[in-house]
Amino acid sequence: MTGLAPIDGLVVLAILAKAIGYGAALLAMGGVLFSVVFAKHAEASVLRLAKQLAVCAALVGLAVLAIRFGIRAARISGMGFDGATDPMMLGFVWESPLGTAAIWRGIGELAILAILLPRFGHWISLVGSVAIATSFAQVGHALGEPRSALAVLIVLHLLAAAFWVGALIPLRRAALAPDGADLLHYFGNLAAGGVAALILAGTSLAWLLSGSTTALFGTAYGLALLVKVAIVAVLLGFATWNKLRLVPALRSQKPGAVHALRRSISMEIMAVALILLATATLTSVTTPPVNL
Amino acid sequence: MIKQTLLGLTVVVAPALAFAHSKSEATTPADGATVTEVPELSMRFDDPMRIISVTLTSPDGDVEIERETGMDPATEFRALPLEELAPGSYRFDWRGMASDGHPMQGSFSFTVAE
Repeated sequence: MTGLAPIDGLVVLAILAKAIGYGAALLAMGGVLFSVVFAKHAEASVLRLAKQLAVCAALVGLAVLAIRFGIRAARISGMGFDGATDPMMLGFVWESPLGTAAIWRGIGELAILAILLPRFGHWISLVGSVAIATSFAQVGHALGEPRSALAVLIVLHLLAAAFWVGALIPLRRAALAPDGADLLHYFGNLAAGGVAALILAGTSLAWLLSGSTTALFGTAYGLALLVKVAIVAVLLGFATWNKLRLVPALRSQKPGAVHALRRSISMEIMAVALILLATATLTSVTTPPVNL
Repeated sequence: MIKQTLLGLTVVVAPALAFAHSKSEATTPADGATVTEVPELSMRFDDPMRIISVTLTSPDGDVEIERETGMDPATEFRALPLEELAPGSYRFDWRGMASDGHPMQGSFSFTVAE
């Protein structure tokens, strides 16, 4: 397999930690986006859930950030787990692009906590969301050329993904609320644009990093990307089914509609978890074909 | 349990993998070469690499080497064997970090003949 790095126990841990970090970042950004965009459409308990979700995710994100520093230090040290607390190794990680990204991510996740503050709190947390998205443009192959295009695409890809992922749990709750169907319908209309932006940005990134279609089939990066895209297709299937069938059924108060929609959203959440795992694998152990 | 699972995963996955990421760097001795003497061990990278740990192993165990290149990122790494290498097979392993922050590792092997 071309472009696949060796995988050992530490690498598996690194991938898991990265996937959890992705999830935390998306939920933190998405919880904020949800509570701002749907401030006037969602009922209080749903908005409260979105804010709680953002805060919890931001705290988990901060913890995972610290853990990832340790794992990275251990990986580069060649000393195994002892390297995780070695000041010199941690210093090397801090000096690397991961250090820069960690500053953006850490400040962003702290700013997310401002969602709990009255008045200007949501503005601070929105800035935090953009800072988190920007942190992803500071590491790895996002630093390649054309750098500004890659950065804009990644930030766009992440904000659109966060809008979707962060809305799933609040929407699952909203399905139980009396006016929930209207919120779900409204979300469906907004999400159509968001998903288009997500796919467009993702495809452009994949094209810039792959260089050619043939590279997708002969490299580890291409294979992992195809696995990711396949799960995304399943996710899109659920989302479309929800929008076209289950939400209209909920609006017309068909029996069993609430249960069917909530179950379908749960499946979406599982698909997202798999996508994050695939993405963490993609960005940890494979090399984009343009860099081979 | 977790450790065993991870170890199991490593054993299952590892043989299918080949090293990549940094472009095929030239090494001295070359990977797979048979040489009569090893005055130095060196590697070249197309992009500065921070080499952090290096080990030279023979079937008898670790062989002491002295680094000439420090831990700052460099495109060329050099190390010297402290003593003349006895005939046998050797493997050089390294770990480090690429300039984009990716943890990197690699190895090359060679044989010293009489």
